[in-house]
Amino acid sequence: MITQVESPILEIHDLTVSYDQSPVLWNVDLSLPVGKLIGILGPNGAGKSTLIKAIMGLVPVTSGYVKIFDRELKEVRSRISYVPQRESVDWNFPASVLDVVMMGTYGKLGLFHRPGKKEKKIAMDCLKKVGMQSFVDRQISELSGGQQQRVFIARALAQEADLYLMDEPFAGVDMATETAIFQLLQEMTAAGKTVIVVHHDIHSAMNYFDWIIMLNLHLVASGPKADVVTEELLRKTYGGKLNLLTKVTDIIRQKDFNPLKN
Amino acid sequence: MSDFVYFFTFQDSSIAYVVIGITLLGIGSAYVGTYSFLDKKALLGDAISHAVLPGICLGFMLAGEKNPIYIVTGAFLSGALATFLTSWLKSNTRLSDDAIIASILSIFFGFGVVLLTVIQKSGNPEMAGLNQFIFGNAIAILEEDLYIYGGLAMLIIITLSVFRKEFAMLVFNADFGKSIGYPMGAIRLIFNVLMILAVVIGIQAIGVVLMAALLIAPGASARFWTDKLSRLLLIAGAFSAVSGILGTYVSFVIPQMPTGPWVVVFLSTFAFASFLFAPKKGVLSRFIARRYYLKKTHQDHLLKAIYHGIEKGKSSFPIEEIYESFPYKKRKSKQTIDSLVKLDLLINNQGFIDFTPKGKSEAKRIVRLHRLWELYLNEYMNIAPDHVHDSAEKLEHILTPELEALLENRLNYPKLDPHQETIPRDNDEL
Repeated sequence: MITQVESPILEIHDLTVSYDQSPVLWNVDLSLPVGKLIGILGPNGAGKSTLIKAIMGLVPVTSGYVKIFDRELKEVRSRISYVPQRESVDWNFPASVLDVVMMGTYGKLGLFHRPGKKEKKIAMDCLKKVGMQSFVDRQISELSGGQQQRVFIARALAQEADLYLMDEPFAGVDMATETAIFQLLQEMTAAGKTVIVVHHDIHSAMNYFDWIIMLNLHLVASGPKADVVTEELLRKTYGGKLNLLTKVTDIIRQKDFNPLKN
Repeated sequence: MSDFVYFFTFQDSSIAYVVIGITLLGIGSAYVGTYSFLDKKALLGDAISHAVLPGICLGFMLAGEKNPIYIVTGAFLSGALATFLTSWLKSNTRLSDDAIIASILSIFFGFGVVLLTVIQKSGNPEMAGLNQFIFGNAIAILEEDLYIYGGLAMLIIITLSVFRKEFAMLVFNADFGKSIGYPMGAIRLIFNVLMILAVVIGIQAIGVVLMAALLIAPGASARFWTDKLSRLLLIAGAFSAVSGILGTYVSFVIPQMPTGPWVVVFLSTFAFASFLFAPKKGVLSRFIARRYYLKKTHQDHLLKAIYHGIEKGKSSFPIEEIYESFPYKKRKSKQTIDSLVKLDLLINNQGFIDFTPKGKSEAKRIVRLHRLWELYLNEYMNIAPDHVHDSAEKLEHILTPELEALLENRLNYPKLDPHQETIPRDNDEL
């Protein structure tokens, strides 16, 4: 059940990604519509984060390609915003909330230039949008998990992009914050932005997303929520890893080279 | 004393040069080192500093004398080779980081010592100065060397200042930097080059064995004092420069005394002092905070004891009876009563203790928090009433007014706790 769209904002063509020897994503082929709130669902180790990292060019792809706004990634970087997993950074780093959110303006600022008043104002506005304006000068080490996520989302907003890719922005977030963030994301899509979110909770996914991608090492489904969320597809996604695929992965790992690499 | 005046008034221009040199070197290596400390790559600096020794020896052998250009170039190249090998081994083998670093460090250093022995056997009259590279001798630095070392140190400081936001990004969130199109690979490369340069210029003054201390100790000590990157760099630079100057002074006063070990002695003093006395994060301030907390809990428990007495219908509280309710703690209880009297929470009327109005409302507050928490545990977490007391006994001291309001709200302003005791509010009569 894979729905392809005309003039997609993001097109992934036959993408395979391997870490060292083992393939973690097999032949993903999909296209996504503009202005939707899109969820990527799948069990642990299904390759959800890897898919986002491959789109952002952060992991080398074994084969296939990605096109965004019908162009190469490096031509359109300034229109894309990436929110990494919260655990991927050291929150003991000596920085304030404002310092981190200002990083969102660095892309447009470029190398050498130091952020000034304009960048500070953008950062403050974005902190307001996520309800963290009273934490401007707080050290990031003193934040709770939910507050850290909101800081990361504020940083993404400061990029003023058209396409947002968020890796587990709801991990470690309480219910009230989750609802508030989802509302914010819905406002963004209403304003024409496209937001892609790696998510783990099917229940809230059903409530909020317009379009759902289901992954389990390979692409199980991609399409409008109503078409995709069926018992059969959910079982395919969450009903354990594909036995045969896992066995092939094991064989490849034991080889001296990766036969999928061209 | 006259030595001291002579040294620090810089009458001798060569001393002034050495002091300027060691200051620049100290600040430069503290800057680089602070970033690599934050990046949790402290050991890499140690590996690089040991790994420059074979380069120094080869440079010396090629030049046939202690030519700074040859030595700096040799040291840089062998440091670069070690850094490259470290990352190559990491991506091409399954060896762990610590195994790689330990092997690189010992192999390069061992090879360097072999070369050093060869040079010593060769009888080259210039070789006398070469041993200084092991433990360093700042005083032996010549004026022309200083232009090279000082210039490179300035280069490090300027590059790190100009690219501050890029290097902070490299350490905090390199993936994000890459996602916005920053050339993070190149930035990492520049950083590694600066790190090797810092080691290379430090070896004459500090020596290969101890150079890592000058990289890491300043940042690690400064981290106790601040949570701001800009201040962290300033404090680290200051610690490093001051230690460098003092170490140089010692090796000036006592001939034949190597500089490196003394710089490390002063650096460790700063590190130890930071560890002990830094506000908030230092051992002493944490000890004091804990003492204060324990004192506060005893005060709370004493107020509660009197409150429970009143609840049970007692009307007078002889001080001896209070002592008895805290067995083996008579002295502590006496101190606590004295301080509660001072805080205007209790009155001591010729050995009879009673609340002041302020004390009564404080006692109610503590009992209220205790019983609210017990009720919360019982109702929301399904914990049996006979298991809730211990947790409440600890949390009553730290629950904030905001949490109190939240608890009241959640529990709908309850009258009774799980043991059917009244939850006292400020206006209630006792």
